[in-house]
Amino acid sequence: MTLPKGFGSGSGSSGADVEKMIGRRVENMVGLITLSFIAAWLATFGGTAAGYFYYPWAYPTPSGHYAFIVLTIIEAIGYLFSVKVVEEGSKKKSNGIIAAALGGTAIGTIIISLFVGI
Amino acid sequence: MAQMPALIPKEVEIQRLKKIWLIVIAMGSTAASVEVDNFVDGSLHQTSIRDSAFTPAHWWLYSHFITLPLGWGSVAIYDRRVPVLRGPNNSMNTGLKMTILGYLATMFTIGVNEMWHFWFVEEIFAVPNHWMFNMGVVVAFMGALAYVVRVYARLVELGAETPGENPYVAEMYKMALEGKLYSRSIP
Repeated sequence: MTLPKGFGSGSGSSGADVEKMIGRRVENMVGLITLSFIAAWLATFGGTAAGYFYYPWAYPTPSGHYAFIVLTIIEAIGYLFSVKVVEEGSKKKSNGIIAAALGGTAIGTIIISLFVGI
Repeated sequence: MAQMPALIPKEVEIQRLKKIWLIVIAMGSTAASVEVDNFVDGSLHQTSIRDSAFTPAHWWLYSHFITLPLGWGSVAIYDRRVPVLRGPNNSMNTGLKMTILGYLATMFTIGVNEMWHFWFVEEIFAVPNHWMFNMGVVVAFMGALAYVVRVYARLVELGAETPGENPYVAEMYKMALEGKLYSRSIP
């Protein structure tokens, strides 16, 4: 089968061509994924806080804290899966970053649930 | 499973499939959280029969009507770079087609639902204006499942997925790759 130049695993494609096709490699996206996780966690706090500060009759503070805790757990699982998927098969290990991000959000979630609300 | 010829280098394909997989994980997290909100919204409706579309429990519930169509739309755009995921006649992948059609039905029903509730305020789950919400979401989920399984199977085919450490599971991986997984029960 004849393939266009730069395609296929045979002759015609150099390592530079392959790198150009890949773009940013997934194993180098751990920082981006970590920032996205923290942004999602902060947005979750903002959303639930808007609920119990502006609509307390529809959304009492304990409901907001319940939602915030459950969502933090789900976001943490998604974050963990994402980092493990991108680093699987590579030599990169970001266990320290994962521990810091998950530990920080866990402590932050407990503090917010204890002290923020009406 | 048929072994498809690679039209792009294996490493490129693995990287692209993993980028699709990251979007799928993000959408899966959203969908999982909305399952929790079914209970939050349900408990709110114990006291508030017809409230408004803009209660916090509804923001959360409706977030997946935004996240999942946008996410699958992003997948549909990026998916064109993975030849093995193309559908019949180089069209969009069949699972993706079903997903997007399902969400289009759901979006259409948002308008229908609001029109219905203009006259009938009670929020009963089984009223006809809710039917196409449920059917659309089910069609979308079926298509999404087919697509996600295809992406995962391709990652296994390419050897990007770590085989199980349990020797029995590793043997199942090997048999699946050889197309013999069901040969014991279906000769």
